[in-house]
Amino acid sequence: MGKFVQLVVDGLSTGSVYGALALAIVLVHQATGLINFAQGGMAVLSAYVVWVLTNQGLPLIVAILIAIVFSVVFGALVERWLMRRFERGDPDTAVVVTIGLLTLITGVAGWLWTYNNQQFPSLFSLDTVSFLGVSVSVRSLGTTAVIVVAMLLLQGLFVGTKLGLALRAVAINPQSAAFSGLNVGRLLMVGWGLAAALGAVAAVLVAPQLTLTPGMLDNALVYALAAVILGGLTSPIGVVVAAWIIGILENLAAVYVPFIGFDLKVAVPFILIFVVLLVRPQGLFGRKNVVRV
Amino acid sequence: MTLLELEGVTASYGPVQVLDGVSLTVPEQGAVGILGANGAGKTTTLRAISGTVRAGGRITFDGKDIRGLRPDQVAALGIAHVPEGRGTLGDLTVRDNLRVGAYLRKDRKGVEEDIDYCLDLFPNLKERITSNASALSGGEQQMLAVGRAIMSKPRLMLLDEASLGLAPSTAKNVYDAIRRLRVESGIAMVVVEQNANLAFTLVDSATVLETGRNALTGTSAELKGMDEIRRAYLGG
Amino acid sequence: MATSSTNPSSTNPSSTNPASATSVSTSSPATGSAPPLWQRPWARAAGWLLLLVVLAVLPLVMTEFVNETLARIGVFAVAVLGLNVVMGYAGQVSLGQIFFLGVGAYVTAYGVSNEWNIVLVFVLATLLPGLAGLVVAMAAARLGGLAIAMVTIALPIVGVPLAKRLSDYTGGSQGLSARFAEAPEGSGLFDDQWQLYIVLVIGGIVFLLTRSLVRGKYGRAFAIVKGNENVASSMGISPYRYKVLAFTIASLIGGVSGFLYMVVIQYTSPETMSFGHSIELLAAMVIGGAASIVGSILGGAFYVLVPQLTNQVDASLTTLLQGVILLVVLFVLPGGLASLPRVLTRGRRRSGADRGPAASPTTPSSTPGSGTAAEESETERQGHA
Repeated sequence: MGKFVQLVVDGLSTGSVYGALALAIVLVHQATGLINFAQGGMAVLSAYVVWVLTNQGLPLIVAILIAIVFSVVFGALVERWLMRRFERGDPDTAVVVTIGLLTLITGVAGWLWTYNNQQFPSLFSLDTVSFLGVSVSVRSLGTTAVIVVAMLLLQGLFVGTKLGLALRAVAINPQSAAFSGLNVGRLLMVGWGLAAALGAVAAVLVAPQLTLTPGMLDNALVYALAAVILGGLTSPIGVVVAAWIIGILENLAAVYVPFIGFDLKVAVPFILIFVVLLVRPQGLFGRKNVVRV
Repeated sequence: MTLLELEGVTASYGPVQVLDGVSLTVPEQGAVGILGANGAGKTTTLRAISGTVRAGGRITFDGKDIRGLRPDQVAALGIAHVPEGRGTLGDLTVRDNLRVGAYLRKDRKGVEEDIDYCLDLFPNLKERITSNASALSGGEQQMLAVGRAIMSKPRLMLLDEASLGLAPSTAKNVYDAIRRLRVESGIAMVVVEQNANLAFTLVDSATVLETGRNALTGTSAELKGMDEIRRAYLGG
Repeated sequence: MATSSTNPSSTNPSSTNPASATSVSTSSPATGSAPPLWQRPWARAAGWLLLLVVLAVLPLVMTEFVNETLARIGVFAVAVLGLNVVMGYAGQVSLGQIFFLGVGAYVTAYGVSNEWNIVLVFVLATLLPGLAGLVVAMAAARLGGLAIAMVTIALPIVGVPLAKRLSDYTGGSQGLSARFAEAPEGSGLFDDQWQLYIVLVIGGIVFLLTRSLVRGKYGRAFAIVKGNENVASSMGISPYRYKVLAFTIASLIGGVSGFLYMVVIQYTSPETMSFGHSIELLAAMVIGGAASIVGSILGGAFYVLVPQLTNQVDASLTTLLQGVILLVVLFVLPGGLASLPRVLTRGRRRSGADRGPAASPTTPSSTPGSGTAAEESETERQGHA
């Protein structure tokens, strides 16, 4: 029983990381209509910023804050200078551009900092704490908590602030938004910046466990995309819940289903997708999209 | 005092020339109609004004050349474009749609007062204030679109086919409200309409476009009296 | 606005004009004068003959290193060609092509190690990946939009640990080596020459078959599905069916490329189908030229030559360089390198601003990438800065 709870808590933690990435992908898609395959890569870049700064002696928290600012700026610039041309156009082309971006980021990181796995400082201690009579990892609890808080903050921004209203308006109908005086371009940059920040938070939290390397979030991207497929591109809550389910299930499968084991955990989300989509092609929470000819 | 002036305005979509020298004058607090058949360039004229489409020629607002400005910059100057198809923000509530309209304003109390004004102008919206805009009927969405434009406290409103797809009684209600708005607020208007009868209840003068050029221009009274107009647009 | 009368715009889905080595424009000018030299039937036949002769003689005169490099290029040209079928022509972004290459290679290695008949091995190396592709496609094609992209990403990611796990068949992390393509006694050929001939013959056949496929009704159907699925359905062309077909063909071709991979490289491991390679293959396709037969060959060349180049300077630059080139191509030359001749001749003919409709990297490169994929109406702006 204890093992089970541990696996669930750990699964919640990794699921939160996938969920953050998935949420970032959904955010970007709602704003600019494309799937950003480089979302994980951008997040890893922010983690490298933290790593470089802490190596210079900066305290971890400070480095993380700087990296978050960096990610916002970086995300905004990517939208403005790279993706702007390809938004609202053929989504497949846009995806290939993001794949190019991913390659570039991986290449830059690999060239600057090698492809070796680097140690990354952990925000949380590696102790365990007693929870419901079971010892669970502080890091897992902490990671889940931080990401949930980040998501709630984001949600609060979207629902409760004028900026959030503007971001939503731009995502729904940029032309109408412009007619009401909204600077669509600038708001898209903000949207990308926020998505990048969310990814950065996730990367920084999971890097100690995965060790830092340019391809660190390649696997996580796959999980995040699976969560997006399951949860539906139109449902932020759906993808987060899907991500948690994936995280928990893969952990349980790794231990309780011998054939899968730890190395084939990554197949779990896709088995899940297979099963769910046989029944509900639009995902668990999404709406069916009707595309007019 | 001329508020808006168009002179020899041209515009094209790719290789297709849609506007071939359109001229228009809108006085302060005045209302001018743009009539004509489909494809004559009416909507494109409004788009040229609001900066949605790149245009040649001269477009001045309050004496300033506004050609080349982005749509949000044109909106900031006080021109509110109510587009064809309304452009309501479907996933947002009625109230949020109106709040978006007031985005550029900083006076919170004024915004609340204007929301109340809109709801008074369009009572249907008052009942649906918390509904998502996509759940509204066509007429209600049109009202909401006009309301969103009002919220920005514009000096000039561009109305594109406000009666499109509406039942005649609904369209009349919308135009009654807009007339009341005009009287109470003094907002100038450029009104694109296929339903000339309806347009003439609102505008002081109008121009008729044909293949991107002005074919006829005059006051409402003059135009209503012309045989061609009566036959082509007013049902004989 | 097309000035050349036969370059269909990129929004016209019935393009039957994937670039081929010899065609630039297939119309006769209105004056009725003789078409340019390269279009006359005898000239084309002579061209093909010349090509055949060159390819036959080439391996005999080149050095071992050149032959080996050409053979590798051939292997990946076939792989890219497969990817082109599903992604370039049918418009479905696929990150799984390298997986099918890997499966084909593994099947080949296993079969050869167990001394099965080589023809049987070839058939299995083609069919088993094809079967896998069919299954994946049947599941993924039901989903709309970019689901195929999102699902195929799982193939290399799951494939690598799977290959390591099934070590009884795959040799685990160590991989499998299989030397079987040695030049037969009495032929007087060296191994590298023999292997290059195998690649040329098998690859050539695959290329010819694919070329006729995409020029025929299937190619047209793919293009329509790619352009607008709703239009395709209304025409009675089932997008689902054709996506599955395209994907299966791609995986069959991928299997063939895996067989050829073993012929030339004689060793395979889980690393063969890594995520990194998957992306490199996609990049190679885009850079060579999507929906282009010639482009596939150029893509294969890109895939092989860039790492060879960067290894001489600084191996860790490889990915960086690939990313840069991919982005540059997407911005400047969306039709890939194969569209370069067309872009250059267009540029010469029109002196003013080129206002042709935009090309995208997943579109047959029938118009030069003058604008970009998104700027469909130059005069429309929506408040973007």
